[in-house]
This record gives sequence, C-alpha cells and structure tokens, in this order.
Amino acid sequence: MLNIEGLLVHFPYDYIYPEQYSYMLELKRTLDAKGHGVLEMPSGTGKTISLLSLIVAYQKVFPLEVSKLIYCSRTVPEIEKVVEELRKLMEYYSKQTGESNNFLALALSSRKNLCIHPELMHANIVVYSYHYLLDPKIADLVSKELTKKSVVVFDEAHNIDNVCIDSMSVNISRRTLDRCQTNVETLQNTIQKIKETDATKLKMEYRRLVEGLKEANVARETDVYLSNPVLPDEILQEAVPGTIRTAEHFVGFLKRFLEYLKSRLRVHHVVQESTPQFLKDIFDKVCIDRKPLRFCAERLRSLLRTLEIADIADFSAVTLISNFATLVSTYSQGFTIIIEPFEDRTPTIANPVLHFSCMDPSIAIKPVFQRFQSVIITSGTLSPLDIYPRILDFRPVTMASFTMTLARTCLCPLIVGRGNDQVALSSKFETREDFAVIRNYGSLLQEMSAIVPDGIVAFFTSYMYMENIVAAWYEQGILENIQRNKLIFIETPDAAETSMALEKYQEACENGRGAILLSVARGKVSEGIDFVHHFGRAVIMFGVPYVYTQSRILKARLEYLRDQFQIRENDFLTFDAMRHAAQCVGRVIRGKTDYGLMIFADKRYARADKRGKLPRWIQEHISDGSLNLTVDEAVQLSKHFLRQMAQPFRQEDQLGLSLLTLEQLESEEMLKKISQIAHQT
Amino acid sequence: MDDQGCPRCKTTKYRNPSLKLMVNVCGHTLCENCVEMLFARGSGNCVQCDTPLRKSNFRVQLFEDPAVDKEVEIRKKVLKIYNKRDFDFPSLREYNDYLEQLEDTVYNLTNNIDVENTKLQMEQYQKENRDLIQKNKVKLTREQEEVEELILLEQQGNEQRRLDLLQEEQRQLQAKRKNKQALLDELEQSQLPATILLAQHKVRAAKLETQIEQQKQAVKPTSLFSTGIHMHQTVSLQPPPKIEEVLYHYKPLQVVTYGPPVPELEQLGRLGYLNHVRAAMPQDTAGGYTSALACHRAIQDAFSGLFPLKR
Repeated sequence: MLNIEGLLVHFPYDYIYPEQYSYMLELKRTLDAKGHGVLEMPSGTGKTISLLSLIVAYQKVFPLEVSKLIYCSRTVPEIEKVVEELRKLMEYYSKQTGESNNFLALALSSRKNLCIHPELMHANIVVYSYHYLLDPKIADLVSKELTKKSVVVFDEAHNIDNVCIDSMSVNISRRTLDRCQTNVETLQNTIQKIKETDATKLKMEYRRLVEGLKEANVARETDVYLSNPVLPDEILQEAVPGTIRTAEHFVGFLKRFLEYLKSRLRVHHVVQESTPQFLKDIFDKVCIDRKPLRFCAERLRSLLRTLEIADIADFSAVTLISNFATLVSTYSQGFTIIIEPFEDRTPTIANPVLHFSCMDPSIAIKPVFQRFQSVIITSGTLSPLDIYPRILDFRPVTMASFTMTLARTCLCPLIVGRGNDQVALSSKFETREDFAVIRNYGSLLQEMSAIVPDGIVAFFTSYMYMENIVAAWYEQGILENIQRNKLIFIETPDAAETSMALEKYQEACENGRGAILLSVARGKVSEGIDFVHHFGRAVIMFGVPYVYTQSRILKARLEYLRDQFQIRENDFLTFDAMRHAAQCVGRVIRGKTDYGLMIFADKRYARADKRGKLPRWIQEHISDGSLNLTVDEAVQLSKHFLRQMAQPFRQEDQLGLSLLTLEQLESEEMLKKISQIAHQT
Repeated sequence: MDDQGCPRCKTTKYRNPSLKLMVNVCGHTLCENCVEMLFARGSGNCVQCDTPLRKSNFRVQLFEDPAVDKEVEIRKKVLKIYNKRDFDFPSLREYNDYLEQLEDTVYNLTNNIDVENTKLQMEQYQKENRDLIQKNKVKLTREQEEVEELILLEQQGNEQRRLDLLQEEQRQLQAKRKNKQALLDELEQSQLPATILLAQHKVRAAKLETQIEQQKQAVKPTSLFSTGIHMHQTVSLQPPPKIEEVLYHYKPLQVVTYGPPVPELEQLGRLGYLNHVRAAMPQDTAGGYTSALACHRAIQDAFSGLFPLKR
C-alpha cells in the first residue's frame, strides 16, 4: 500500500523499483492536471503494473474525475499480458480490502467480440488495440460511447505516428478496381431484383434520405464523432445530396467514379497530385462534385443495410473505394496522391497503384486528444521526447524520461566504428559492396560468437542487405567459422519460416549449443519478440536502420513535415532510424537481473546527433571511451563485462538500491533520490 | 482497356499499337479506321444498334465502359442548361430536389427512357430560366471555386517557401564567409597569438551553428495582428496629452449680391417660389431631397448673376 502524494495505491508486489514509484508520481500529476503526457520508461521495469495500479487507485478515489481507463496496445500477446496483470491486481485488491470488486474490465481482441456496446458503457477498464481508437472506419463503430472523462493510455507507442498514417492511407491497385466492378454489378442486380419483388424497403430508404434523417443508432449525444474530425457539426448533420438519393443514381455515380479511377491508373509515368487538384480533375472528367463524394461511404452503408446484404466481406472492394472517396473529399491538406505505373525496383512489371497517403499523423489522432481528458503516450524508446508533441500536434503537461536504477550496470552499449584494419564500418549505401567492410562485419560476428554465451541476436537494415552480406560471408568462409561456435538462424519475410527459426533458436539456446539469429530491423522479430536472459546475451546492430529513402511517399511526407512543422528531413530520418535501433536493442533486457551487450556496429552512431536520439537509459551507459572502438577493443570490453555479469547476483544485493521494500521507500533520502530520476524535458 | 477490340474489325492494341477507340452518342465503340471507312460520307448508321449517327459526334473513348463515356457526354450537355447553384434556392431541401431532378434527366436520356418527354422538359426549363442560365454560365459553382482557391493557395505557399528557403541559405552562406574573412583579417592584424584567435574563431563558428539550428527549429511566429497592430506593442494606458487651442466658431457664409437678398430655404414655399417647380417624387424624398433645395440653388445662381447698372 503506497502513498503517492496523498493517493493510496495498492501495489500487488512486495518490492518496488524506485523508477516505478517515480513513474506513478508523474502519472498522478498528469491526471491531476487533466492533461496529456509523454512518458519514456525503460523496457522490463514493470511499466504495465505501475500504470494499472495507479489508475485503478485513482478511479476508486475519484470516480467522477476518471470514469474509464482505455488501455490501447499493439498486439494480441501484449493485450493478454495486460489482462494477466490486471487479474493479479484485482485479486490483490479483494484480498486487501476484503470486499469483492465491482470493477468491470473488458478486453477486445478479435472480430468476433465486436457487438458489445452496452457492455462497453458499463466497463471501467477497456483493453484493446490501437486501431479501435485511431482508425476512423472502426472507431466509429466501437468507440462511440466512450465518455470524455476517460484516461487513454497508448502503450508501446513509439510507432504511433506510423499507425495513424496507415489508418488514413488507402492503396488502390488494378485488382481492387476489378473487384469493385464486380461488386457494383452485384449491387445493380440486387437492386433490380428487389425492385421487382419488394420495393417498399427502397422507397422507405429514399424517403428517409429526403427528410435528412439519420439512422436511429447513429444519433449521438453531445459528443463529437470520432470518425470525422475535420468537419464541423452542421456539415455532418446535413442531408445526403440529391445526386445520390435514389439507389440507381448512386450506383451510376459509383460506376463513373470507378471508371475515372481506372483511367487514372493507365498512366505511363509517375504522377503526384494534391487533393484539390485531384478533385478538380474528377469534376472536369466525369462531372462529379465534391459534396456527393463526401457522403459516399455513408450512402453505401445505408444501401448495403437496406438491401440486407448478409456477407459484407464480399463488398470490401467497393467499401474501400467509397472510403477513399470520402477521405479525398474531406481533407484538403495533409494528404497526397501518388500514382505509380510500376514499383521502383521492378520497372518491367506493369503494376499501377494509386497511393492515397496521409502525411500528417495528427489528423487521425486529433479527435482522441480533443475528446478525452487525459491521454498518456508511453514506451521504452520515445527519444527525443519533443518530436512526438510536434508531429502529433498536441500540448502535453508532462514530458518525462526515466532511467533504470541499477545495483550493477547490466547493460553495456558499445559503438564499434572501425575494423581491426582501421577501415570505417558503416551500412551507408556507398560502402555496402565494400569487401573490407563486409569482412570486418563478419569478423565482428565471429569474435562475438566465440565469447558470448548462449544466444546472440543480430539486426540488419533490410532483407536485401542481409542477403548480400550473408552471401558474401559464405564466400569468404566466415560463416563456416561462425558455425563452429554457434548455430545460425535467419529471419525471412515468410511468417511460418520465421516462427520455425525462432523456435529452433530458442531450443539451441536452452540446451547450451548456442545460436545466432540474423534478423531485420523493421521485421516481426524486432517488433514483438523479447529475448530474455540466455535467449539474448548480446545484440548487434549492423548499420543504421534507415528506411528506403527513395520512396516517393516518404519524400512527400518529409517535405510536408518540413513545411508544416519545421522539422528537417535529416532530423526526422535520423529520429526514425534511431527509434528502430533502440527498439531492436531494447529487446535484450527485460528486467534488472537480466544483462546484455548492445553493440552498435556503425561509425555514424558516435556522432552526437545520432547518439543524442537514443533513450536516456541507454545513453547514460555510453562512456566516451566506448565511442569508436575497433573490433578487438570491443571484444576485450565485452569479455570483461560478461565475466563480471556472470558472478552471482542475488536479490538482496539489489535491495536498498534498485529494489525497495515499503519501509525503504518511505525514507527521506530515497524520496529525494526518486525525485531526481525523472528527467523533465 | 488494352484487351478491348473494335467490334467490327476485331483489331486490338496488341496488333495495332496506335489503335484508338471512338464512342458516339449511342454508346457503341468503333476504332478510328472503321470510323473513317464507314462514315466517309459524314453520316451513317451505327453498326450495332442502327441509330443514325454523324461522324463529327465521334469522340475518343476515355473509359473502359463506353456507356460511361456516353453518360458523361450527356451529363455535360445537361449541366450546361441545368446550372443553378445552391443559393439560388431558398432551402437545402429544394436544392437537393433540383439535383435529383437533374439526375433523373440524365438517367432517362442515357438509358433511352421517355426521351421525347425529357427533351421537352429540358427545353421548357431552358426557356423559363434563360437569364439565370446565362448568368451562371460565367461563374463556376461554389464548390469549384473553393477547390480553385485551395489550389491557388497551395501554389502560392509553395513558391513562398521555396523563395524563403533560398534566401535563408544565401544568408547562411554569407554569414559563414564573413566569419572566415574575419578570422583571416584578425590573424593578419591582431597582436594576440594565433592559438587564441583560432579558439575565438571556433567559439564564434559554434555560436553561428547554434544560431542557425535555432532558426531552423523555431517556428516563425506572426508578429502582426490581422489589423496590422504589432503583437508586442505596448498599449499605453495614459491619457493622450491635452492640447489647448482656440475654440472654433462657426460663421455662416455670406454671399454678397447686388440686389435683393436671397430668400431663405425655409421661406421659399411661403413666398410662392415652389409653385412652378416640379414636386419631388417619393423615390427622391427617400434620399433627403426636397424640391426646395433645387429651387434655392437656382435662385442663388440667378441672384448672384446680377450686376450693378452703370450709372
């Protein structure tokens, strides 16, 4: 039972980390101020339970201030973990207070569990995926009844800007259009049939549209729609325009729009347009105005309901096109349309695609910030903190970064910038084919495989790069040498192969043979898999994981960021690369008794602008002496570190320093130390 | 689209890469060569539906479905006539009804339903609303105006940003060059040892760098309110200083006439001057005009023109 500035919090464990206490303190202050917060807390320090226990305590003491907790996570395994912690917390509560809990927690994980509106209204805690709150198409259905006085927590939110962008972007290929054509023909036939058998339904729908009445279950209270953040109320309440009132007119409208899109996809060179230009062209070619486009998605939904179509999944293509129509006519800024006749890397295969990409992540998340009283964005790797408020366009009341208090330094970040022959190591485009660089990387991995026990994880910047390097290593005979020390497993774009590789890797680490997992910085392994204890004793980051910089969509987005938010292209690219690097590297430490080597194998990491973008809890362990090591020096330092870590380390050694009991927590000096943990920005 | 062929000669794009398909008012396609051959005399019948057609009505097909081409053509023609806008109507409901009527018209013409009647209706509408149609022909609809505005704004914004960026870069280059030059000058002239000067130069260069960084990071805040007042202008709360001056007295104008004085404006009616003056119409009095004003003016003119007799 903790006392955090007057609030009594039940914490279900006997020991607590000082940074957990500090985190809860900051969180409480954010909730008191009824504002938004950005909090960076290192991975493996019990972030989830701190969040849950503080917010549940707050809910119990101030039920009117915070009526709901909405916990958003990225993947289903993470949601399951949260539910486990919550269960433990609730058991602890009932043991302590002796009374049964009347708290209702709801976890939404799959499509089967969607129709639960009444339950959502009564639940105190809701756990689901980001998309239910951010994707405008889904948010409307699921998150409508959530009240203003809720706290929203986005966990593992370092990639939230990409999630926002993806939820508002649409890609249309030739195949989509062909499927849409079939859908429209089916709609036309169904309408024909219904007119012959039972025309009353269509007539009722028509009358309703004429009167401008909305559907009964679409009527809302005083809160603003989540799905249409840009339009003011009057426009949302407007009646559907006369051009698409009757079903036949609407189907003809869809046909014309479809034909227009087909004609646009027949280009022979790349076209980039803004939304107003696109709309002007639509009007010139097929006389389609902006207003009926805006109502397209709504009209289609109404039509599908009236025709009582049972299997909506068949109509996914036409739904996509109608969503695209609504998006393109609603937003005049922050989007760009790029039509490519073929992909850059396969210029001979004709594959025309229309990319309607969102360049501004704040558009999708703005309704969340406006609607809910407190939104907390938290993750292990959110540095530099001030970029997130800028690109998501919100003003937080707290921005804090926490470090790990360690009884013994359990992480050892090293920046290897040179090979033994003094050749600079880098994954820069110009040096990718350099024989010497590849050989040096190989010797680094070889040496590490000889001294590091159990498992090593190595990350490359892209699949192609990884394949090139591994092929070169094979020719140079390096792979053979490595295999004498450890087994090698590789991640591939195929999910089944990767999970098999992962399984075997874990088996090899368990039984002592030792293994190396070669994977890619933006792949499935780096996003979701934890390498605790012996599964990951060292992680090697080969190069700086920049995204493919020649992509036109990326270039448009960078230009937009520069113009709107005054963020330089280089800064943003570096920030993006470093957050992925930090994510990869953070996989290896999951707790204070765990230890790991973090090797950054690229000379560019030593530069201040890149080093400064690493999270604080990694940065503070990088000494000036470990900035530009050669492979040999790195091996020496690693040997020393590993031998130190292998000494027995008991929990009692941690007590008082990095692990506290309740009495130790309440001593004066400890509280002073704790207040210094949070580094405000 | 590339797999489609001409229905008559069956050539496709594969066999003739420069093949162009043309569509006419009946909605059927023909390749360019067939059009040339069949309509050499300028008119003929459609191959598939036998409707009389003219060669000049053939247009290059833009869409895969020729029915859509036909509909778009008809729509453009109808829109030229039915071009009322939303504020021509008293309520949104009526505007929507009008739009629906427009759709019905296009639908009927495209699918050959009730063509005669629809054409009659169109003619009637055209006759009734001739003036409105003329007026609206010139202006775009409001939606199009909005879109045009946005495009214009964008282009202006882009141009502005490009110029700003260029200027910034120039300025930075200049600053760097000046700094270097200053160092060289100092080395030449100053008495201090070279190491100190180099250190100073480094400090200056670092400061310049941070300045540039900050400038780049800083969002340019506006300094003007929309009324033109500067944002940081302190409004003084003291009363303005008092300036004492001589009080102005109004003296009415004296006109010297050789002869009797001009009668006053108010007496004109009584003295009978207004009897032969056209009375003011209601439209005139609305603006404040009275017939006495004109009369007084005329009398003033007349009296001022009097000369003394030479005796």
